[in-house]
Amino acid sequence: MVLKIFFPQCCNRADSGLLVGRWISSQDSAVVLAVIHYPFIPGHVKQYIQQMQAKSGVELSVLGSWSLPKDGQEGMESFLRDLSTIFPQERWLQINREVGKMGFTCQVLQRDQNGRVVQRETKKKNEKVDEGAGEAGGDEEEQEEEKVIFVHYEQRKVMLSQLHPIENGVPDPKTAPPSELRQMFQTVANSQPLFFLDRYDDGPLKSTHWQTEGREASIIVELLKQALIPLCMLIGWLLSVWTWVCNIRIFSLYPLRFLSSKLSTCIQLSYRTEHMRLLSSPKPAAGHMQFMRKANIVVSFLVDVALGMLLIWWLYRDNHITMLANMLVPAADHVAKELDELLQWLMGAPAGLKMNRALDQVLGRFFLYHIHLWISYIHLMSPFIEGILWYGGLSACLGLTFALSLLSDMVALLTFHIYCFYVYGARLYCLKIYGLSSLWRLFRGKKWNVLRQRVDSCSYDLDQLFIGTLLFTVLLFLLPTTALYYLVFTLLRLVVVLFQGVLHLSVDFINSFPLFAMGLRITKPYRLAEGVKFRVLCEEPGTALHLLMEINPLKCSAVVQTYRTLTYSCYPKDSWAALVKKLFVGELIYPWRHKTTKTD
Amino acid sequence: MGPDSAPGPAVPWRKVLWECQPFPDNYVDQRFLEELRRNEGIRQYRYWAVVKEAGFVGERLSCVAIFITIWLYIEEGLLSPETLLWTSLVCALLGYGLHQALTSQVESGCEPRTRLADLQSATIFLSFTFGFSPVLKTLTESVSTDTVYAMSAFMLLAHLVSFPYAHPSPPGSFSLNAALFASVCLASRLPGALHTFAMLSCALLVFALWPCLLQRLRENAPSQFTGVCVGVCIGGVGGLGSQWPGGAVLLALALWSVTLLCPLLLVKLQGQKDNIQGPWDEAEIHEDLSHF
Repeated sequence: MVLKIFFPQCCNRADSGLLVGRWISSQDSAVVLAVIHYPFIPGHVKQYIQQMQAKSGVELSVLGSWSLPKDGQEGMESFLRDLSTIFPQERWLQINREVGKMGFTCQVLQRDQNGRVVQRETKKKNEKVDEGAGEAGGDEEEQEEEKVIFVHYEQRKVMLSQLHPIENGVPDPKTAPPSELRQMFQTVANSQPLFFLDRYDDGPLKSTHWQTEGREASIIVELLKQALIPLCMLIGWLLSVWTWVCNIRIFSLYPLRFLSSKLSTCIQLSYRTEHMRLLSSPKPAAGHMQFMRKANIVVSFLVDVALGMLLIWWLYRDNHITMLANMLVPAADHVAKELDELLQWLMGAPAGLKMNRALDQVLGRFFLYHIHLWISYIHLMSPFIEGILWYGGLSACLGLTFALSLLSDMVALLTFHIYCFYVYGARLYCLKIYGLSSLWRLFRGKKWNVLRQRVDSCSYDLDQLFIGTLLFTVLLFLLPTTALYYLVFTLLRLVVVLFQGVLHLSVDFINSFPLFAMGLRITKPYRLAEGVKFRVLCEEPGTALHLLMEINPLKCSAVVQTYRTLTYSCYPKDSWAALVKKLFVGELIYPWRHKTTKTD
Repeated sequence: MGPDSAPGPAVPWRKVLWECQPFPDNYVDQRFLEELRRNEGIRQYRYWAVVKEAGFVGERLSCVAIFITIWLYIEEGLLSPETLLWTSLVCALLGYGLHQALTSQVESGCEPRTRLADLQSATIFLSFTFGFSPVLKTLTESVSTDTVYAMSAFMLLAHLVSFPYAHPSPPGSFSLNAALFASVCLASRLPGALHTFAMLSCALLVFALWPCLLQRLRENAPSQFTGVCVGVCIGGVGGLGSQWPGGAVLLALALWSVTLLCPLLLVKLQGQKDNIQGPWDEAEIHEDLSHF
């Protein structure tokens, strides 16, 4: 059996005294948390440990004794050994460190049952007394039975770090207990009250452990926390007003609700509202995950607003708004002109393809008329565009994401004609494909059995066959023309969707990227631990093995995966095959249904 | 120890496997081939009967040839669409009358179609064809003529191959559709909408209604049926000959081989038939290709 002792590095040079810590009995290891120095009154020590146990919820106990003999303290050792009778424990550790030596020596005293073993121990003690200080014969026997490994850890890092993967909620008693490492981390993290005892306090006890050196900073943090409470209340009140406005009946009427579910600005607004609601709750964060979530939201919100301010500064500096507005109308005109030329090209013999001339002319004129309508709409709008842009630009003070969402919506509105073309083309194409597929079944003398979901043979009447074949021929010969129009307009639509997708993706990135967790990972890698690694410190024959425990930081990809804020990009998406199939059949594709798949 | 060298045992051999017998497993006795049967249920074909049946195939071939002839005439402008329409109308009325006469002779089991339903069908045919003929006319404008011809030839061939010669009434879906597709393709190359309309009506007569009438004729008046077949064949060859002599020669050769040569071959080769059956299970080879 190997006994592992987790020993804090800060106690390496502590004065002699009592080891306070916790036995992790199931895994046969001990976590040393602090050393209480001589002189002390045992009653005070017991009282203190009980107090700490009540505060932290960790089963604290006196593990044994620690001795680092200094000048004039030669007689300490036997005294410390006698302490084991004062603090009755199943096992009693005696750790010695000699000045000038790297390693410790450790003796373990067993006390399994009450009377007899106590006797045996006293006997051993006698022997030891007889044979003098050092390692007695009986102790050597026991050391052979039980080997000891010292694992040195840095108390502050272990206390602050969070071991991943995170286990939430109450652990199930049926399943296996948490691993030794996890228990050790929990023990150190939970026994924070133990570390509040200051080195310079004038109490009955003196102890050595990690202790903070930034009391002043923590006072400022506490003050800030107090100051944030009214701010949270203010945000909460504003939110309740906003929610009330949103719930007015007029907004839940059909056209408005439909519009607001399609406009990405409204979607972004609802996300922000939700985030703010989460932040403004007066209760402190329960658990590590929720704390990280809140912190991530706060940081990404601040970054967002800062970027938005930067954008505003650029936009309103040199009258960029007017420049943009003056550019926009000619750009829209230009697009319309290009479309016009494209249609003219399609109405001829595009790429040498043989199209049905009559249908080609009809479709081409229809779309040309549409473009004409569109241009007149743009020109009607042109006096107001600058104003719209000026006020729209103000939305950037809510964050860059708002500005980007607004841009995406404006692109959607400005390219509405392309969307219309696409819908017409797709509907026509879809109709043809469905008609052709069902008429092809008729052509072969089959029909689709809806009840059994299969193709059955069927005897048709003469007139059904005749009309079906006539329609089949017509549709078949007109298909290339429709398909070409569909193809061209789908490509145009895909370009627009691609642009919007890039915008959505960047908005989504700002919304969901865990900036705080990432910053924590970069500046303080030990805070997010994935595991530990051990390094051999010294291995001398005769002394116990000494290991140094170092914390493995979590990988960056794992940080992103664990802490990203849930947004709509996390929902399942259409696969590429499904998308291609939809395009082929002529079903409409919408970028706002889920996150669009074409863009990423 | 082979099966022949078995000693004459006291117990007779029985063809069972569940008893212990003093014979090897592959032993058979003298009665082995007694139950062998040859050519079971064979029908002896007579040459002229086969020729008569094959005549129907020849008739279909000739019908396609006649349709192509009419199309050639119309395309060259030798036959005006009005004439064709009137002729078709007269033929249709005559054929309808004949069909009714033949139907009234036989006591048809299932409920017969009423005149009203027939009139309704005819109206649908005519109105749809007439309505669609301008569309159909421009349908293949941009497609090259060779493509249209190839498609028509392919579809007419498919019609001939998939035609249900045993029960041609109603004509099978695929064969009728293929023929109609081919006729739409051909009709769309004609100069005017009326031409297209006339051509499609003619196609309807030749491919949809004529087989129905012919089937009635075959059921009720077999002797006339033979005569009609011969007449159609001669008409087909003659008609094609007037426009395309080479094609007529080819058609005549095809008809000769289908109606006279192939039945002769069938009857001759039937003597070679040797099909044995017996009390054994035939070995069936199920190749499991999944593990390759």
